Amino acid sequence: MKNTLYRAFAIVTLSIALVSCSNDDNQEVSGNGKLILEFDNAYGSNDLILNTQGNTTSNNEVLKISLVKYIISNVVLTKADGTTFTYPKSKSYFIADEATAAGREFELTDVPAGDYVKVKFGIGVDEDQWKLGASGQGDFLAKADAAGMMWSWAAGYKFLAFEGTFTSPTVTTPTSFMIHTGKTGTDYNYTEVTVDMPTKALVRTTITPEVHLITDLSKIIDGKNKIKLSDNNMGGMGAMIMGGANLPLITQNISAMFRVDHVHND
Amino acid sequence: MKKIIVICTLFIGFSAFSSTVKDSISTFTFQRLAMMEDFDCDACGCSASGGSMGFGSMLNNNFVGLRYMKQSYTSRDGIFANSPWIDENFNTIQAWARIPVTDKIQISALVPYHFNDRKLTAGTESIQGLGDITVMALYTVFETKKDSTFFTHKVNLGGGVKLPTGKFTEANNLGSVNQSFQLGTGSWDFPLISEYVIKHKNLGLNTTLNYIFKTENSKNYQYGDQFNYAGTFFYLFDLKSVQIVPQAGLAGEMYQTNRQHNLDLPNTAGDILFGKFGIEAGKDKFSVGINAMLPISQNLSNGNMEANYRWSVNLNYTL
Repeated sequence: MKNTLYRAFAIVTLSIALVSCSNDDNQEVSGNGKLILEFDNAYGSNDLILNTQGNTTSNNEVLKISLVKYIISNVVLTKADGTTFTYPKSKSYFIADEATAAGREFELTDVPAGDYVKVKFGIGVDEDQWKLGASGQGDFLAKADAAGMMWSWAAGYKFLAFEGTFTSPTVTTPTSFMIHTGKTGTDYNYTEVTVDMPTKALVRTTITPEVHLITDLSKIIDGKNKIKLSDNNMGGMGAMIMGGANLPLITQNISAMFRVDHVHND
Repeated sequence: MKKIIVICTLFIGFSAFSSTVKDSISTFTFQRLAMMEDFDCDACGCSASGGSMGFGSMLNNNFVGLRYMKQSYTSRDGIFANSPWIDENFNTIQAWARIPVTDKIQISALVPYHFNDRKLTAGTESIQGLGDITVMALYTVFETKKDSTFFTHKVNLGGGVKLPTGKFTEANNLGSVNQSFQLGTGSWDFPLISEYVIKHKNLGLNTTLNYIFKTENSKNYQYGDQFNYAGTFFYLFDLKSVQIVPQAGLAGEMYQTNRQHNLDLPNTAGDILFGKFGIEAGKDKFSVGINAMLPISQNLSNGNMEANYRWSVNLNYTL
């Protein structure tokens, strides 16, 4: 009799185990929440370390990177059901900067609760926005200026600034390089990328997902298009790539340098 | 699958070996011989937190005791190839008991106290406190009654509950380090256990399989279910005043993917196979044991975590 009781107890315990696996999927999805886009700069599979870390390209050039900044803009989030949420343009310009904490994470506010699976954003400032003129830029113009991400108003914004020193088989003393993308006489060079999230970002009033993106800077000159700094080292004064035929190639490379590594739904 | 083959090989090896031994009547009363494989050594019951180390004793069927256990891991602090590897130390002091209720039913309980630390790049982080208390019932389904058979067998089945008495701190799972740096899973978890002991004279093999169902905790985090298996050979030297039992075998753990808000968390599943060895000595009502486990093969958190070793020492008092 006692055994039967114990067996019954065991069965009850098991049942609890199995039944308690039910979940609370029916939680209400409404209201607004926040979402954080974190941009984590890397070089290949390594985390980026400014100034000290030598990064070797496929052309055997070794880059020591001292500055990385880029403008992230026009964020659009796509839900699992395919509908999209366009982040208001007035708030949708950010400057990513490896050197400051504020330049690594951007908090989007008033995002409708939902399960998001994709994020789209631009690198640089779109032409329509620029055409609004200096008065149409809101406070972003001053911000970009302060960050050194403007040439002049007429010349426009720098979309990406990538600077440091390099050595190569032909350039043996560390020589500076600067790559600045932006509009040229022939190309506007703004580009947009869409990246999938490996895990859904659950925006809720109580959950602020953090979408952790990795920016692989090796792609800038060592992506689909290979650009040798040594070839741009005019007169040994340093490799300055700020215009010309290389910018559209670099812009193409840049559009492939982002991916979402993981999402924290905390 | 590989693991199952290993277990089968162990069985076959044992059978082949024992068949060459002459039949005789075992003088050893193995009423006293039992081992229960467990999840008591969960650093918290989370990913790669231990579990196949073993519970109990070859010498004492029913006992109360204390055990100290140390687990050493190295984990990658970050998501990059050049992210630093950090040391993690999981220490546990555990009170445990296995108490008979009837001839065939025993109740066992484990009360762990953890003190863990990890050496993050930002500085050493320490947590300590009560872990998850486990209470289980074991039922002896089959037991060879006579000593005269060539092999004697014993089969125990059981189940229980692991209570969320250990603190689960959400913040410890931020970032991309080991998700098991916790005092407990924070959830009600339900272990099922089975144990099979086959013995010929003083040589025996103890095989255990257990499965732990884990549920979602109040922070919407759910550790992956865990499957533990082990096969341990033991030999009893029954000297006049003391009994000495050396033991060696294999033990493995398999972890399902952790989930948060019902979404799979990448790089949280894994498996590990250990070689284990130990020795236990008993005199009168006391026994002391020491055990060690070294990894043979492992793939934890997609290679972002490595178990280095585990060892434990225990003192039991036979009831």
